[in-house]
Amino acid sequence: MIRVIALNELRRRLRDRSVLIGCIAAPLLMSAVLGLSFAGASSTTALRIGVSGASSQLLASAERASQLPHGITVVTLSSEQAVKTAVTNGDLAGGVAVRADQLRLHSLLVPVVDPGASTTPGFDVVTRGTSQLGQEYAESVAAGMASVLYAGRVPHGADPTAVAITTLSVGKPGGKVDLNFFAPNIAVVFLFIGSGLGMRSLLMERSAGTLSRLTAAPLRASQIVFGKLLAVFVTGLATIFVIWAVTTFAFGADWGDPLGVLLMAVGATMAMCGLGVFLTSLAKTEQQAFGITLLIGLFLALLGGNLLPSGSLLDFFQVLALGTPNGWALVGFGRLDQLGEPASSIVGPFIVLLVIAVVTGGLAMIRVRRMVEP
Amino acid sequence: MQQAVGGIEAGATGPGSTPMLYCSGLRKRYGERLAVDGVSFSIAAQECYGLLGPNGAGKTTTISMLCGLTLRDEGQITVDGHEAGTLEAKRAVGYVPQDLALYPDLSATENLTFFGQLYGLSGKELEGRIRETLELVGLADRGKDRIGTYSGGMKRRANMAAGLLHRPKLLVLDEPTVGVDPQSRNAILETVGALGIAVLYTTHYMEEAAKLCDRIGIIDDGKLVAEGTADGLISAHGGRDKVHLECDAASLDELAAACSALDNVHDVREIDGHLELTTDHGPAVLPAVVAVAAKHNVELTGVEVRSPNLEDVFLSLTGKELRD
Repeated sequence: MIRVIALNELRRRLRDRSVLIGCIAAPLLMSAVLGLSFAGASSTTALRIGVSGASSQLLASAERASQLPHGITVVTLSSEQAVKTAVTNGDLAGGVAVRADQLRLHSLLVPVVDPGASTTPGFDVVTRGTSQLGQEYAESVAAGMASVLYAGRVPHGADPTAVAITTLSVGKPGGKVDLNFFAPNIAVVFLFIGSGLGMRSLLMERSAGTLSRLTAAPLRASQIVFGKLLAVFVTGLATIFVIWAVTTFAFGADWGDPLGVLLMAVGATMAMCGLGVFLTSLAKTEQQAFGITLLIGLFLALLGGNLLPSGSLLDFFQVLALGTPNGWALVGFGRLDQLGEPASSIVGPFIVLLVIAVVTGGLAMIRVRRMVEP
Repeated sequence: MQQAVGGIEAGATGPGSTPMLYCSGLRKRYGERLAVDGVSFSIAAQECYGLLGPNGAGKTTTISMLCGLTLRDEGQITVDGHEAGTLEAKRAVGYVPQDLALYPDLSATENLTFFGQLYGLSGKELEGRIRETLELVGLADRGKDRIGTYSGGMKRRANMAAGLLHRPKLLVLDEPTVGVDPQSRNAILETVGALGIAVLYTTHYMEEAAKLCDRIGIIDDGKLVAEGTADGLISAHGGRDKVHLECDAASLDELAAACSALDNVHDVREIDGHLELTTDHGPAVLPAVVAVAAKHNVELTGVEVRSPNLEDVFLSLTGKELRD
């Protein structure tokens, strides 16, 4: 019966073309916009991090210590100003400037990445506007150098003063961003919108009068809801697959290990479906559901890092981001496409997404009888 | 009196012996408002039972409870011996809601296919049922057209087809003729009349209830205030025949005095320039009235005999008129 309800839902959505618009046309359009906007900056191989003021030995040790993914190139520049200029111009994704006086550190103890710190001994991480990846890799290089220096000082009885890595932003916000980062990001946003609005179908059936006939049929209330959910799940997966295919084949994006992407797509879609049905269970009318979905969607997108890189948020909100399904989806996709890690690396995020799906879906099921009452 | 399931007196007096539907002490409250207040009735197999009452009387809430759409606060309901709301009870019921409950983007055949599948029908059996049901409601030649292209009456008939497709033992029709053109209305009434299954028919049209239903329950303010055959209800609560006489205004008093003296005329009143005689049997007293008028040289310009109907029953029982 779940399958019958799901097929009917899909047939109707094909008939009114909402599936074509929501699952194919809109993702295609967005993929095209993304691809055309970020084409040429779509691979991590293009990312270069510049460093000034560090010895070649320190730099080599730092590269090893920071375990940069393959394709991230660290280059040496003559001065801090050269680093700033290159980052400002977009020639470098990020940079690290080590001033001469800071090389004579006597008290390196703990390498701390603290973008909010002001005046400290340590390194200046130079970043450009929204180049989130450049910032993160530059911070990794800085942290690697700090750890090497720290390790070298420990045997000599170091002064317990922390090394802070300060962030210095140069240039205007904007510039090319990584398509690999943004394609899954946008796919997750589409997924949430599709799932949240897709479950409104139940409330639309109520206002159209057909819910009474469904409820009068020999079905359990949960079968009606699961039938709707199955249809939303299928359309959600279709949406993410369209964006995956278009950004990959038309614009050369690399989402990473296909098995991992497949698992993350399934996990993210299930989590979004769970959240969608939970939000729908809170609404009495489709207008209410639309409002709730929009409000929560924007909040989660902001918090989870879909609109702004989560690294740019306050620490408190960065922690909260890990309470969002989209945040975990981005963690999983990020491991695959940014770090080039294998499918096994996303088991954690995948399980978290499943848990979110079960918890939110379970909460909705508590109100399932009320959901299907005409 | 019939014995209902559970050994409780059901009160059904229609054809058949085992109640197809048994309701006892139904109560449903929405906030402070008691929408249904202690409603009890039963319907025998093949009996057509009309629930007659104005809008807001509790008809739709009552059938929502017995179809398993709404949970009741109190009371007992069984359908074909099964507790209402269970899958077995739902299989026995064909529900035709008041509002159109079909997908306008799908054709009648697609709609019926979907709803038939929900009742476990498939393959050739489903195809056959769809063909048969569309013929029954007179839509065989429009089955492939989308519901959205149908007229209001055709939509109502398609709506009814969806309730009949799985051959229910009890058909529940909630105001099926509201807003329907006379032709479609007749078609619906003929279809219902020919079904030969138990039918619960809610309406606020007394003519429909009187024409179609073996028994009628009159519901108002959530309470079932009377129940019986149309004739029985009229006989018990409808009052007497009325004879309306029109004549020259100057002769009204003289005619009134003469009619008051006639046998079987219980009351004579002057209303808006007419005389209204209350009698047990209007047609029987009419010749005497005409004779008296002639005797007193009063020219009757209008004569109307009006027998009581369900409207009068409702007025008598509730103090209100059946209204839209």
